[in-house]
Amino acid sequence: MDQSTESANASSGPGKSTTTLNGGQSVSKRLQTELMQLMMSTTPGISAFPTDGNLQHWTGTINGPEGTPYESLTFKLTLEFPSNYPMAPPTVLFTTPMFHPNVDMSGRICLDILKDKWSAVYNVQSILLSLQSLLGEPNNKSPLNGQAAELWDKDPKEYKRLLMLRHKEAED
Amino acid sequence: MSLDSVSENTLDLGNLSYLTEVDDNLCCPICHSPLIDPVHTKCRHTFCSNCITEALETSKTCPVDRKPLKLEDVSAAPIMIANLVNDLVVLCPNSELGCPMTCARHLLGGHLREDCSFVAVKCSGCDGTTLRKNVGSECLHQLVECTFCFASCRKLDMENHEAECPQIIAVCSHCSGEFTRSNIKAHEATCDEAIILCDSSDVGCPWKGARKELSEHTRVCAFTLLRPVLHAHANRLATLELENKALRKKIDILLPPRPPTEVPTPSFDEHTIQLLTEQEHLRSDLERLTASLGEMEIQQGMLLMNESLRMKEEVAGLRAAIGGIRMQIHWLMNTRHQSVEQRPVGGASSSSGPQNSPAQGGNLSGGGALPNIRRMTEPPNDRVKL
Repeated sequence: MDQSTESANASSGPGKSTTTLNGGQSVSKRLQTELMQLMMSTTPGISAFPTDGNLQHWTGTINGPEGTPYESLTFKLTLEFPSNYPMAPPTVLFTTPMFHPNVDMSGRICLDILKDKWSAVYNVQSILLSLQSLLGEPNNKSPLNGQAAELWDKDPKEYKRLLMLRHKEAED
Repeated sequence: MSLDSVSENTLDLGNLSYLTEVDDNLCCPICHSPLIDPVHTKCRHTFCSNCITEALETSKTCPVDRKPLKLEDVSAAPIMIANLVNDLVVLCPNSELGCPMTCARHLLGGHLREDCSFVAVKCSGCDGTTLRKNVGSECLHQLVECTFCFASCRKLDMENHEAECPQIIAVCSHCSGEFTRSNIKAHEATCDEAIILCDSSDVGCPWKGARKELSEHTRVCAFTLLRPVLHAHANRLATLELENKALRKKIDILLPPRPPTEVPTPSFDEHTIQLLTEQEHLRSDLERLTASLGEMEIQQGMLLMNESLRMKEEVAGLRAAIGGIRMQIHWLMNTRHQSVEQRPVGGASSSSGPQNSPAQGGNLSGGGALPNIRRMTEPPNDRVKL
């Protein structure tokens, strides 16, 4: 009990500076733990690693799920963690050109768990898995890319063609 | 840094290293670390007290199941859970400084407060702080004088100072003489034992030896003897090189399209390219010729065919004419025969016949009727005209 009162005093004494400092530490601590977990578990089809040794900026890859137009394609994305992570969601962007109802032309993603439905218990792995399943199950009711949403049901062939066209930009 | 923070607030439970791997069920779903001060919600999820408090500031729902949640709905977790996480064995946070202590997590506060030798505490001799292990000895913050340079510095920093004090004695690696650090460079420049190169090493002398042997070597050194000559040569070479450079520049100006250094390789390339273009020309020529040859063949064939058609027609015409003539001859012959049969042959008018007969006799079958021919020339003519 002594410890808890002490720490409470300590945090209330110096004020904001220590809380942000501790916050920064806890972010990197948590991200380190996540990285460890991600490396140990090696979930198939997804991977992520900090960019240039900056723990708050990761690069992730998702393999397109089988049985969807995205099959056998690989997509890169960036994850930018705020200083109050995991209380706030990371900013996730596709860097590989993407053709998907819920992704706009600059790679921004419309996914509720990355916005208002974010919860502190989500982590990099669950984000990447959610994005992977979003590829195969788009939410066509609130599309960012109207053309993709329209073609998804109407013309799968044309959808695939435009997707490949867009994905090809990555290689050029 | 206030004194308090130094002596008391070194324990950050969130950053501890655990000796054994911790069961995931004992970890907070928010910070992914072993629970600290565990609390549980009315929906029966367990978090660190600080984590859930912070999470509820941004969203009034349970992070795990999104059910509405208020801070009032959060209460201390069962003591069993608290005991489980508090008994986890951790390394002392000062293990990097050398503290070997490992203990149950809840005992760590006591260890840091009472025992850990690597905790910063108030110095016994002054107002500063020092590691606990140093408390018993004299105050490390007092200023001491460096025995070499007489500069004063804190006892604590003495080790660092000694590593760089300029007055400290260093030993010359050549003569084993002792000099202060600041003088050792100057000494090495004059040390008799130092290994140096011959003065004429710039002109190629390979000699290497102690400085004191240099004068002896110089006396016999061929390079030193030749030094003036070699130097003169070198100077001359340098001037010649300069001159050469200037001349080359002039040549460059005079012959701008041909940089002299680049002639050999490009000329070969040019040659090859020339040959290649030549070959290309020849190939296209050949193709052109083959094409025109084919054209001409066709033309020739057409001409030939036209010609032969015309000839055929002509031949046919001639054949028809010949046929006509033959018919006429037959007819004439027949009439002639008839007339001959009616009138027996008389030899009276045959005087001029033998002269004409060789010309006409070959054409006509009537071998024995030479005189008749002569006679018959006139009547047919009359008939044709009729």
